[in-house]
Amino acid sequence: MFVSNKKRMKNSTLLFRSLFFVILIAGSAHLVTYASKTRANGANSIENRVFLETSLEKNETGSRSEEKPTSSEKDDLTGTWKVNYNMEDFNGAILYKMKKEGGNYNAYIIEYQDEDGYGQEAENTKALTITSFDGYKGQGEYRVTYEGKTYNTDCTIEMVNMNVFKLSYDFYGYSDVETWKKQ
Amino acid sequence: MIEFLSRKIDWLDVEYWFYLFNDLSLLYIILPFFILELIRYAFLKRLSKNLILDSIANVITFGAFFTIEIILGILAVTKLYFWIYENFSLPHLELNWATIICCILLADLSYYWEHRMMHRIGIGWATHTVHHSSPHFNMSVAYRFGPFDAILPILFSLPLVLLGFDPILVLLSEVFVQVFQTLLHTEIIGKLTKPVEFIFNTPSHHRVHHGSNRQYWDKNYAGILIIWDRMLGTFEPEKEKVIYGISEPINSVNPVKVFFHGIARLFQKLKRISGFNNKALAFIKPPDWMPEEQTNTEKNDSKSD
Repeated sequence: MFVSNKKRMKNSTLLFRSLFFVILIAGSAHLVTYASKTRANGANSIENRVFLETSLEKNETGSRSEEKPTSSEKDDLTGTWKVNYNMEDFNGAILYKMKKEGGNYNAYIIEYQDEDGYGQEAENTKALTITSFDGYKGQGEYRVTYEGKTYNTDCTIEMVNMNVFKLSYDFYGYSDVETWKKQ
Repeated sequence: MIEFLSRKIDWLDVEYWFYLFNDLSLLYIILPFFILELIRYAFLKRLSKNLILDSIANVITFGAFFTIEIILGILAVTKLYFWIYENFSLPHLELNWATIICCILLADLSYYWEHRMMHRIGIGWATHTVHHSSPHFNMSVAYRFGPFDAILPILFSLPLVLLGFDPILVLLSEVFVQVFQTLLHTEIIGKLTKPVEFIFNTPSHHRVHHGSNRQYWDKNYAGILIIWDRMLGTFEPEKEKVIYGISEPINSVNPVKVFFHGIARLFQKLKRISGFNNKALAFIKPPDWMPEEQTNTEKNDSKSD
């Protein structure tokens, strides 16, 4: 039943042809991702330069209308942060205590607040770990609770100013950006 | 062009597009088409009790297959995929158009090989023969699955995860290929235009794949692109009228018999084979393989008869 009338292709030919296509297709995907990341890094470094230059100019002219992090302040995420949530299962805010432990920043949930601002103490559960932070951007791990279960997902943070940062994560199809405000 | 291909895409959008094609197509293409096929059968006076019961058996085998698939998916596949993705894969690919297109292309190539293996190794054919055992050819046949049909795809899609593609995207792409394939199970559509027939798998090419005519055996394994068959030496155009089914028909519409007949036949074959090594080889050798010494003995026996 399984013998072909025609001359069968050699196994080595089949292997090399298949490998060629795999390398070609997967290689193309990696090349595009690499190009995209390189371009994004380039754009980020320009943004950072503009941001730094603007800060310097403002300092030189004595303009301090908007507070920008100083070198000692910008590396410090410690303190209490508040995040507002408006979701089906939770409408209110959560207060987090960010501590520097070892080389990481860890944020612990210290209080839940309902939409009217009434607070309820939390059990100090660790919710976020920032493993790297350069003063403007950082990355780490965020604990997402979905349907009663807690999952860890990669996240990034980006400082908007010294009192606000954006936390972004993508949890297998569900992506979100949270705004963390310093209290 | 590169800018378009590298534009980041939101996961929610990707899941929505796949949902539209992978999930909803059952409602807006497959079911209406199947009803159209039934009307056509009635018009041609081919609508028989056997055809109806065969179609029902197909759906029941799908139910059984789907249950196994869900258990495998939840318990093993996603965990295995993510473990490999987190620990052994190449740098993770961004979610952009290039990644999605390349993932579908590779899922299609992996489908080609997985499908070829289903035909070319004993255990693969023991389960995949279920899909080919229907003497009819319509949309419901696409849902006719064997008990282990979900296992081989796992092995063949793991390399995609190793290459840096997100496991969820790999799974969605695999289903995309499978749904495309489903649409090819019809006699209503004849041959399409030459460029389409040259590049894509079409109902005509897939009818050949289901043919029990001698020249159609083990041909046209493709999912979406027929060019894989053209380049890997398994292409055969539809010339002679296709006779559907397998060389040893099961002549049954009993869903249990349909679902398990391939495995039962493999066990019967194992009983005839002597020696542990030979029995083990029967799982990975081609379905018509028998140990040489037994083939010779059987030939001699038949001569003396």
